[in-house]
Amino acid sequence: MPLVQARGLQKSFRGKVAVHDLSFDVVPGSVTGFLGPNGAGKSTTMRLMLGLDNGDGLTTYDGVRYHDLDQPLRHVGSVLDAKPFHPTRRAADHLWMLAASNDIPRRRVDEVLDIVGLHDVSRGRPRTFSLGMGQRLGLAAALLGDPGTLILDEPANGLDPQGVHWLRALLQTLAGQGRSVFVSSHLLSEMALMADQLVVIGRGQLIASGPVADFISASQRNAVAVEVDDPARLAAEATARGAAVTGEADRRLVITGMDQRAVGALAFDLGLRVYELVAREPTLEEAFLEATGASEEFRASMGFQQEARQ
Amino acid sequence: MRGALRYEWLRIRTIRSTYWLTGLAIGLSAGIAGILAAAVNMANNAGDLGELSGSGVFTTWIITAGGSGPAMPILAAALFAVLGAMTLGHEYRYGTNKATLLALPDRPTVLAAKATVLVGWVVAAAVVILALDAAIAALFVPTHRFDSAALRPMAFFVLYCVGFALAGFGLAAVWRSQVAAIVTVLVWPLVIEPILSTVLQVAIARTNPGLAKLANFLPASAGRRTMYRPYDLFSNVDVNTSTATIWGLSPSAAVYVVGFLIVAIVGGWLFVLRDA
Repeated sequence: MPLVQARGLQKSFRGKVAVHDLSFDVVPGSVTGFLGPNGAGKSTTMRLMLGLDNGDGLTTYDGVRYHDLDQPLRHVGSVLDAKPFHPTRRAADHLWMLAASNDIPRRRVDEVLDIVGLHDVSRGRPRTFSLGMGQRLGLAAALLGDPGTLILDEPANGLDPQGVHWLRALLQTLAGQGRSVFVSSHLLSEMALMADQLVVIGRGQLIASGPVADFISASQRNAVAVEVDDPARLAAEATARGAAVTGEADRRLVITGMDQRAVGALAFDLGLRVYELVAREPTLEEAFLEATGASEEFRASMGFQQEARQ
Repeated sequence: MRGALRYEWLRIRTIRSTYWLTGLAIGLSAGIAGILAAAVNMANNAGDLGELSGSGVFTTWIITAGGSGPAMPILAAALFAVLGAMTLGHEYRYGTNKATLLALPDRPTVLAAKATVLVGWVVAAAVVILALDAAIAALFVPTHRFDSAALRPMAFFVLYCVGFALAGFGLAAVWRSQVAAIVTVLVWPLVIEPILSTVLQVAIARTNPGLAKLANFLPASAGRRTMYRPYDLFSNVDVNTSTATIWGLSPSAAVYVVGFLIVAIVGGWLFVLRDA
């Protein structure tokens, strides 16, 4: 199954840099989440990877550019828009048309309609489809060629909770078969459940890439909550060792910069009685917000909240 | 190319607008041919046609749905221009251009397949129009007479329809908007060119006859001249011969072909260069 390698991707719109020197890998057998704030350049990056936009850099699928792939739908399946089809062309005809372009047998149309749960409306016209049904039809098109790589831009948009659950199971199954799945989403809780790897960008630049667990553990929000009989003494000693300490309730401290074992050992060395010692791991959302805090493209005013408080 | 042709052939066959536009073009042309047949019969019965009665001039006029005589817009060509605009305009309007280019990343191949299928469809429809109109002339005009001189206007009727379709196709690529392409491809020949032609030929010709010759470069008007038989139905001027100010058949045909090819090539060039 293919390794996707993006190297030095770069794109500007009228002098404004949208994507800057972006390099990452999407490894086979994994779901790689693609995260970034609004306007970070996620969709532009995906279009560059697929050769739809002109720009610098190179993306290869097992060493071959998208443009040079023979019958590309058999190698890479993608969903870039929520409803990329003519509203009055029947769903089955839409898929048949795409299949014909890449010499994919017509029976595959029925197979993918079954996979995405649209078989009953295969003769329907997409103008009557909900956003979720449109997403399913887009996924059906992406799966037509039984590709080894999937590139999906916000595929969960418009799906109901059952649909999101189905999508997660589908993508994990496809990754489990050894395929490379690259998926962007704003649903961070969903991404936490779905993704094995992450590529995080902000203002078109790479912020982090690698396993999800590493991204979370690298967060400054990792902390240890500890309750001892002399919190002031523990706080002073922890601070002297370079940790950051904040007080919570009575006798309870939250320490960042030291792991659970180190805090426990320090309390023992100081002869303190420990009532509670808990490692606090941030959620993916907390780690993401911390990592992308400075690269938010569109920062909302807090005026509404301030007014509400008054 | 084979995959691209299969894709485009399925694309044009699986949307309803293809059928209602083609049906409308055939139906309206037949309706116009019927009206012209009735008019010719009435004029003939009243003895108004004189020595032209029984000649092939009026039969050709009916077969080309008025195309071989002046001042009659070719509605079929206008509808095929809309079809051409929709061939690429739909892709931009519904965002299917990305799906198309993901399935067929080689853009010149996509363009060539689209143009080939469009031209094939329009040629077939134009031939149906001519056949149907010929049947109307044969059935309803007792004095009808089909002669070899009808073949040239009929051939250029097909070329005129193809040119309009390709112009609509090219304009959709230029504007990346179906609506803008349709408006442009209809307003130019029906509004802009008649105004320019009138200004050049009537107003300027009195003061600067050389400048008036610029009217020959108006492509839609040049395309119409290729169909005339004779150039002026009622003055019996031969379109094969250039006059002092109006060009004849060959230069007019060249202006028309170059005109729609420029639009189609510029549109295609932009389609290849721009982001999807």
